[in-house]
Parts: sequence; structure tokens; C-alpha cells
Amino acid sequence: MSPYMLIILIFTLGLGTLITLSSSHWLIAWMGLELNTFAILPLMAQQHSPRAMEATIKYFIIQTTAATMLLFASVSNAWLSGQWEIQQMSHPTPLALITIALALKLGLAPMHAWFPEVLQGLNFSTGLILSTWQKLAPFSLLLQIPPTSSFLLITLGFISVLMGGWGGLNQTQLRKILGYSSIAHLGWMILIMQYAPPLTLLALTVYIVLTSSMFLTFLYNQATNINSLAISWTKTPMLTALTPLVLLSLGGLPPLTGFLPKWAILQELTKQGLTPVAALTALSALLSLYFYLRLSYATALTTPPNNLPATLPWRIIFKQPTTFLAVLITMSLSLLPLSPSVMAFFTF
Amino acid sequence: MSPLHFTFTAMFTLSLLGLTFYRTHLLSALLCLESIMLSLFLAFSLCALKFDSSAFSVAPMILLTFSACEASIGLALLVATVRTHGTDQLQNFNVLQC
Repeated sequence: MSPYMLIILIFTLGLGTLITLSSSHWLIAWMGLELNTFAILPLMAQQHSPRAMEATIKYFIIQTTAATMLLFASVSNAWLSGQWEIQQMSHPTPLALITIALALKLGLAPMHAWFPEVLQGLNFSTGLILSTWQKLAPFSLLLQIPPTSSFLLITLGFISVLMGGWGGLNQTQLRKILGYSSIAHLGWMILIMQYAPPLTLLALTVYIVLTSSMFLTFLYNQATNINSLAISWTKTPMLTALTPLVLLSLGGLPPLTGFLPKWAILQELTKQGLTPVAALTALSALLSLYFYLRLSYATALTTPPNNLPATLPWRIIFKQPTTFLAVLITMSLSLLPLSPSVMAFFTF
Repeated sequence: MSPLHFTFTAMFTLSLLGLTFYRTHLLSALLCLESIMLSLFLAFSLCALKFDSSAFSVAPMILLTFSACEASIGLALLVATVRTHGTDQLQNFNVLQC
């Protein structure tokens, strides 16, 4: 792909999200979402392989279907109440339809099956865009619509946390594991959305930091499954020492950053009188923790010489810049002592 | 529910059901998507008529533009998938499942 084309595509990608973020009319928001989808499709299809094409087609059909459902719900709402504003939707049926359409766009649990498959067909840099930047526009719409029925959101969130943990148990491909981890994290954000929207933003930010550091680590090691991650110690020993810690942070263990959103969300759910939901969600997070722990085990605790199923690579000095990765890993490991200021920043 | 509202709702629902349940060819999925967009175009045009607002009559044109872009991208993907897979049957898209 020529660099000019790449620049145009990346600017359009940013422009689509920004149009959606700054719109108040449903048509403009839909235009932003469509621009976003159109701009990432050539990026996904740039390798001419069957896997990339399959991922692109699945992503295209899912995203356009979700966008048309969104537009249909908004035009029905306008027909029923004469209102095109995002924040002033009043009719409950279009609201529920819009929530479901945005859940399909994000990959929340009953509509989650496309996300790991699409992620599996992409390279790590496009996958990073797909699981971070592409979440922002649907999330901003979900935050802006007036509160829909709490049963729908709690069901979506809880099933997402459960299915994200459950689906990832059986996987050996790193991109699929990251996809299921993304579903589980999105479930936590949806769960708290109607009670404390700042906590949703906090969880989204922490998730973006954690998953970016994970994606960049795998990109640096060129590791696509657990076996090739297990032999990455010959290439990058320091990064291999830090990878289990980032994984445990993604699982939400206390001295690391990933604990902060889970802590705040569980506390807020308990305050709202939803103790059973909080307990069940915390128990479902254990399923996710299992596959993070298995990755950590394969990375750090199994030391050769044993029967490795892959040959060891040479230790080559890599030329890629690592500044961004270093900043992200530092943030994903040591942000918890700053939690009062982080909370104050998001709740202002 | 007025008859006009019922018309575009039924059209949208039928197209969505077609997209969901008729999973043989990619081309038919694209046709169902196009039919969804046409039902939305109908809804937007009727909205402009119903509210008697000429300012809103730009919206169906914008919608039609985007739907043309979407259809062209879908056809480009169709060509690309015929080049990589040799067919446009949706059941051949099973490399990434596991």
C-alpha cells in the first residue's frame, strides 16, 4: 500500500470517530460510523490472503448491519416522537434496538462471535486499531443515549464477562485470546454504564492501555500462539519478564493497574444494591484469569530444556522503536498508587 | 402504527431476516444489505414529507450516497473473495473458526 493511501485512510479513520464523537444528530453519528468502517476495510484487506479477506468480509457485513439497525431505530424514533437528537430519545423500543445495534458493533456477548474470528485474521497492528480505536465511537453513542432498561444492560454485561472468560479457555491463538479478553472487559464497562458513566470511561481507558501494551508486546515478539510466546525469552528477555505482569494486570490482580477499574466497579455495584450481580461477575472474571495465568505460565515459569514444540530462534537485535511500548507497560503495571488522582480525573 | 411506518418497518425486517437466514451466496447478502438501505431511504423520504421540512430533504441524498459507497465496497470485496477463495459461497469462510 502506498504511503499516501495509508495516510488518507488513517486520517479518515480518525475523522469518522471524531464526527461521531462530536455529533448530536443521529444521521451525522451514523455517517461517522460508516466512514470509520469504510476506512478500516482497506487496512484489513491489505494482505491478499484468504484469512484477511474472510476477516474483512465478516467485519464489513457485521458493521454495516449494525449501522443500518442503528439508523432504522433512530428513524423509527423520529417517526414516533419527531426527535432526531441523540440525547433526547424517548421511545423505549428504538432505545432497546439501538442498544442492541451498538452491542453488535462492539462485540458484546450474545452478538460476540464475530470479534475473535475477525481479530484472528488480521495482523497485530490492525488488530490493535480494531480493539481500541474502533470501540470509541460506539461507546460514545452508548454513553450519550438516555438510560435504557437496566435489565438489558446488566444482562449484556454479565453475559459478556461470562462468555469472554468461557470462550477464551479453549484457545491457543494469542489473537483469539485477546479478542475474548476484550469481550470480557467490555462486559465490565457495560455493567456499570447506567450507574456511573465516569467509571465506564475509566475502565475503557485502562483497558486501552493494557491491551495496547499486550498487542505491542506480541507484535514485537512476532508471537501468534502460546508456543511461540513461550520461546520469546531467547529474543527479548526483559520483555518476557514483564509480559506475565502485564497479563496479570489484564486479569485484574491487586498491585497492578488492572485492579483499579474492577475494584471501583464492584464497589459501585454493591452501593447500588446489586451484590449478587457483583459477586457473579467477580466469579466470572476468574475464568478470564485462568487463561491469563496459563499464558503467564507458558511465558515465565516453563524453562527449557524440556521438549519444546518449536525450534529456538536466534537472538537478533531488533530495530523497532520501543518507546511507546515502554511507556504503556509502565502505565499498565504501576498506575494503581495513583488511583485517587485517576478517579478524580475521570469523575471531575 | 401508521400504514407508512408499517411499510418501511416490514421492509426493513424482511430484508434483515433475509440477510440473517439466507446464507448461501455473498452476493445475496449484499443484495439484502442494499434492500435494507432502500427501506431506510424510503423512511427518510417519508420523514421529510411527514414533517413538511424541506431542510430535511438533503438527508435521503446523503443516505443514498453512503449506501452507494457501501455497495461498491461490498462488490469490491466480492471480487477479492472470488480471487482468493474461488467462489462466493458463504460456507467457505471457515478458515478462522475454531
